[in-house]
Amino acid sequence: MTDPIQLTVAPVLSTPETHIFEDPTPITTAQNTPRLTDDELWDVYEISRTAREVRDGGYKRVALQFPDGMLKDAPRVFEALEEKLKRLPIPAEKVENGEDLETSFNDLSTTSTKTEQFRENRIEQGKQGTTERIRLYILADTSYGSCCVDEIAAEHVDADVVVHYGRSCLSPTARLPVIYVFTTHPLDISDVVQVFESTFPSKEEKVVLMADITYNTHIPTLQNHLLAAGYMNLVTPPIIHDPSSQIPNRALEASIELKEYSLFHVSDPPQALLLTLSSRVKEMFIYPSTSGTTSSKAIQANTAMTLRRRYALLTRLSTCPIFGILINTISVTNYLSTITSIRSLISSSGKKSYTFVVGKVNSAKIANFSEIGGWVVVGCWESSLIESSEFYRPIITPFELGLCLIGDEKRIWDGRWRGDFGSVEEMVGSSAPIAINGEAQEDVEKEEKDGDVGEDSEEESTPPEFDLRTGRYVSHSRPMRSSAPQHSDSSEQSTTASQVLTRRAKGDLVTVNGTVSPGAEFLRNQRTWQGLGSDFAETEASQGMEEGRSGVARGYRVGEGGERT
Amino acid sequence: MVNFTIEEVHALMEKPTNVRNMSVIAHVDHGKSTLTDSLLSKAGIISAAKAGDARATDTRADEQERGITIKSTAISLYGNLADDEDLKDIVGQKTDGRDFLINLIDSPGHVDFSSEVTAALRVTDGALVVVDTIEGVCVQTETVLRQALGERIKPVVIINKVDRALLELQVSKEDLYQSFSRTIESVNVVISTYFDKTLGDVQVYPYKGTVAFGSGLHGWAFTIRQFAQRYAKKFGVDRNKMMERLWGDNYFNPHTKKWTNKGTHEGKQLERAFNQFILDPIFRIFAAVMNFKKDEIPTLLEKLNIKLSPDDKEKEGKQLLKVVMRTFLPAADALMEMMILHLPSPVTAQRYRAETLYEGPPDDEACIGIRDCDPKAPLMLYVSKMVPTSDKGRFYAFGRVFAGTVRSGLKVRIQGPNYTPGKKDDLFIKAIQRTVLMMGGKVDPIDDVPAGNILGLVGIDQFLLKSGTLTTSDTAHNLKVMKFSVSPVVQRSVEVKNAQDLPKLVEGLKRLSKSDPCVLTSINEAGEHIVAGAGELHLEICLKDLEEDHAGVPLRISDPVVAYRETVTAKSSMTALSKSPNKHNRLYMTAEPLDEEVSKEIEAGRISPRDDFKARARILADDFGWDVTDARKIWCFGPDTNGANLLVDQTKAVQYLNEIKDSVVSGFQWASREGPIAEEPMRSCRFNIMDVTLHADAIHRGGGQLIPTARRVLYAAALLAEPGLLEPVFLVEIQVPESAMGGVYGVLTRRRGHVFSEEQRPGTPLFTIKAYLPVMESFGFNADLRSHTSGQAFPQSVFDHWQILPGGSPIDGTSKVGQTVQEMRKRKGIKVEVPGYENYYDKL
Repeated sequence: MTDPIQLTVAPVLSTPETHIFEDPTPITTAQNTPRLTDDELWDVYEISRTAREVRDGGYKRVALQFPDGMLKDAPRVFEALEEKLKRLPIPAEKVENGEDLETSFNDLSTTSTKTEQFRENRIEQGKQGTTERIRLYILADTSYGSCCVDEIAAEHVDADVVVHYGRSCLSPTARLPVIYVFTTHPLDISDVVQVFESTFPSKEEKVVLMADITYNTHIPTLQNHLLAAGYMNLVTPPIIHDPSSQIPNRALEASIELKEYSLFHVSDPPQALLLTLSSRVKEMFIYPSTSGTTSSKAIQANTAMTLRRRYALLTRLSTCPIFGILINTISVTNYLSTITSIRSLISSSGKKSYTFVVGKVNSAKIANFSEIGGWVVVGCWESSLIESSEFYRPIITPFELGLCLIGDEKRIWDGRWRGDFGSVEEMVGSSAPIAINGEAQEDVEKEEKDGDVGEDSEEESTPPEFDLRTGRYVSHSRPMRSSAPQHSDSSEQSTTASQVLTRRAKGDLVTVNGTVSPGAEFLRNQRTWQGLGSDFAETEASQGMEEGRSGVARGYRVGEGGERT
Repeated sequence: MVNFTIEEVHALMEKPTNVRNMSVIAHVDHGKSTLTDSLLSKAGIISAAKAGDARATDTRADEQERGITIKSTAISLYGNLADDEDLKDIVGQKTDGRDFLINLIDSPGHVDFSSEVTAALRVTDGALVVVDTIEGVCVQTETVLRQALGERIKPVVIINKVDRALLELQVSKEDLYQSFSRTIESVNVVISTYFDKTLGDVQVYPYKGTVAFGSGLHGWAFTIRQFAQRYAKKFGVDRNKMMERLWGDNYFNPHTKKWTNKGTHEGKQLERAFNQFILDPIFRIFAAVMNFKKDEIPTLLEKLNIKLSPDDKEKEGKQLLKVVMRTFLPAADALMEMMILHLPSPVTAQRYRAETLYEGPPDDEACIGIRDCDPKAPLMLYVSKMVPTSDKGRFYAFGRVFAGTVRSGLKVRIQGPNYTPGKKDDLFIKAIQRTVLMMGGKVDPIDDVPAGNILGLVGIDQFLLKSGTLTTSDTAHNLKVMKFSVSPVVQRSVEVKNAQDLPKLVEGLKRLSKSDPCVLTSINEAGEHIVAGAGELHLEICLKDLEEDHAGVPLRISDPVVAYRETVTAKSSMTALSKSPNKHNRLYMTAEPLDEEVSKEIEAGRISPRDDFKARARILADDFGWDVTDARKIWCFGPDTNGANLLVDQTKAVQYLNEIKDSVVSGFQWASREGPIAEEPMRSCRFNIMDVTLHADAIHRGGGQLIPTARRVLYAAALLAEPGLLEPVFLVEIQVPESAMGGVYGVLTRRRGHVFSEEQRPGTPLFTIKAYLPVMESFGFNADLRSHTSGQAFPQSVFDHWQILPGGSPIDGTSKVGQTVQEMRKRKGIKVEVPGYENYYDKL
């Protein structure tokens, strides 16, 4: 059965130069929007407001953070902003100035392997010698999601404030003040009104009206139009910075019973928002804003399928022994305390966790750690939800992790979902060590009373867990659990007999508090590759050595005492 | 009242030569449970009056209600031989005294529950095969017999429901004899088909006493040996000689008073000895009682030495017949005698069964212990099924001690089906809480149980899902995992009506999968809880149990669906190539279909990843025409490391290849678990790694680069190889009278069925039709068939094989198969169109 298929070309053994600098990660397509006119630019990027706020705040170093799609506008925004800042009256004791304006760009991007680009602007001011400069920097290629404020990059340039352009997850930041510019997109108000009317024929319908961040400026106009059309029970919650609120990032009066309201959302919401909201409101309709198509129909959001898939993922992980905590933000408030609580949550259920920082998540990075059974992402509430079949192991959010570790006996899946990680700390607080099976404990006690222990020095195993996904038993789903009783024993002993030589643990694996490190164990059991040289064992033994001819040319001898030939 | 005590049973347990472990097996409705009743009444467990109606081994309410057995039930009985003389008839094995312990398991007959039969057979050494006089050998008779022989279990036969032949069909004596001998013949045909050299010839012969005849309902049965015993004295001949004369072409010539084997005397037909000496008294009793010839009866009774109680004498008709026959020929005596004399004791049976039972080498201490049935050897115990206790959620582990002695408090190693010696997977250590004796629906505690006996264990149920090996030796391998003749191919998804009940459902699913050897529960990618069973009836029972018992919450249950498999039907049209995300590594692969025979061997466990690779290569090369080099370089099986897909390394001289093996294998497991077409598991595909180019630096060829790439290249190779969907197909056997055959054909044709055999049962107007029927079309088949044949057709469906779903390519969305695929994808919540190979194929 040798192969009849011939390769048409001999395989190339090296990567052609043309591919060397190709970005392996999928490219997020830049929007093919036409070049904006200057007026539009001022409008969309809200130059005046930005400049005013910068000036009012008295910031000296300003970082401008653009998402990849808007990067092409960055220089023009930069220039416009600079111009505006120059023209703005300087508050307080500022002297008139501004003859020679010299701008120099120091391109620092090549100095580091990081492709962050800093453009430095020096506004030289004054003949007086006192320099009053406002420096602007453009930040690009954010470390994590472009919806989050990249504080670390901003701190690299020692910025006082970050101006964040484009759509944002509005997660509260930990260190720096942020000016958000949502870059408004145009919206055909009359069409929206029309769609709204066809969706809600009854004027008494209770509706929450909200829009994607980038369309949010149209909301007041839209509301007025709709009020004029006779809708009485409209709610338009204003934007706040609180992903944990009832509608993420929107303020809602406590008196409103959200379950009675339908939701009308302008433009496609991010998946995380969709999942969060779908169980909280009565019905959810989306006005699609994809350019070009003037589809005059609202799509009713149906998240049942997505939620079910999430459920499948998290039940799949409930027997997973090793979790990877993936840090996908370093700016969202509380992320450090969240990581700590996730760690303790994982270890309290007898599982092992490892923490990773990989920058932007992609399948290649994740698959490098095959000992990890599942991943938890600590990120902003929008980017924690990573849905793709490309990943070797499932990735879940901290909220889902909580559900996953709660155990099959208590887990309830009623469609409630949240993207933020506020819930985790509550769970840690309430988590007493989850007893897998109370009866098992009793059994052990009973037998110990019988006095039958001791015949076998090995201690009794904890029962295996039922893996719902495969319908089988999984034996080592809580590798760190068994250490607990042993540990207490050994600590007692160590006080009395610390001088005595202790025997090394069985095998040669790394142990943590007396339990074998699950990661090391994985490498020993699941990997067949044991390093260079180990592959010779498999290849068949070569022919044994045979003694050849010896002697002089007149006549050779073959073997010991052989004939001369 | 039970006429034996636990102490007596325990004493007998220690004499394994006097133990008989046996299961009662047969086609559905041939009267297993009814017959078992007569044994129970003899043991005093149920009253004689109830025997035949009580079906005491049907312990569940729905079993009684539906009149079918669903779960196999074990019961231990005490039996003895009347006479020391009888002991001499036990040939080839030793005995110790006249008292015997019989561990009996009554099994279900319906094909959907044949996994229960498999579990029962594993722990027994002998089988009582029940055959209906009128229906003869049916599909399931053949299936269970085949299973029994595969496990090296010795059969004895009882031909049941003889009363029906006499009362309903009013056959003549000679016709009845012919019918008996035909049935025995067909049983022997099956037995000799599956001849096993080690087990020897186990065909059954009435004149050897391995066939009994009787009526479970009326509680009577006889073997030729019993009659021979009666007549031996009268004729003054040896009993064994008499037995031979009472069957076959042997005649007693009343004129010459001599035995002959010629059927005629002076032109007159002689009566066959069997008819004359055995059937004649029975026929006479029937005639006398049923025709109410009151005056004849007492003389007849006296002649046959039957004594009735005054109460019984008052009875009439069938009631009287029952009593007379039961007193004349008690079924329990005949069966007990047949079982004790002809079925092997554990000592005898384990000698030849040890090698088929044990996975490890035949010369280690565990295997020697099993072979010798040694109660002092290390414990070897096989748990074949879990039996629910009255305590909800807890189970008895039901099994058999093959070696050593098990007692309460003993600390054992519990080895699950995936245990490999030396590793820690699927291995638990636990003390046994209690050992119990299974007595039908009840249990009796017992201190210890030595080798050769069947028992229940308390306190280890949390460690075993369905079956497993218990041992005290830390070098012992597993006892062989049971292979079922049925596969769970019919699925239904369940969800709770009320979200708060989810934990109860989950718990219920766990219990369900414990309580049944065959059912599978899982969650699919779309988050649905799936319950898979062998057939519609099986699934119905399981779901009913789940809803009412295990979970106890209201459920929403979907329509049945079938599980598909993805496969390829041709060789990849070109070599698929995928590059790693960093473009530094390339994998070249092709896909091709695996021979159906190879796939079947893999699924049956005869070719497995655990085999020595050289031995495996030999089999593949000799039997399936593989290239030996290829066969030696099988990297892995998948999905789940034991499925019927193979990854074969065909590369030449690739550097660092071993280093990436783990990553490629991971990718292969992943891809074969979720195929490219609809995320269904793949089956019967062979993937060849043609070439590999790797970056010289180890950091650039890690798992992260290669696992996703391996998956992509496998997908590309599969999509380039004319992918197809496999659907499961049932083998349906239908018994139907000639008049209703048209209806059967009509129904089958409408449901894509395909008839491949049609046979008339000799001596009856019944035909047996065998057909292949796609499982997808089988939903509601039974009801449909019944309505089109006015209830005269009886189908039995069992999963047989996989076939390509006809109707076009799954990639083409316009074809019928394509639409099926799109529907599946939609249900799973993934993009509806099947991605083309271009998504996974990279240009050079």
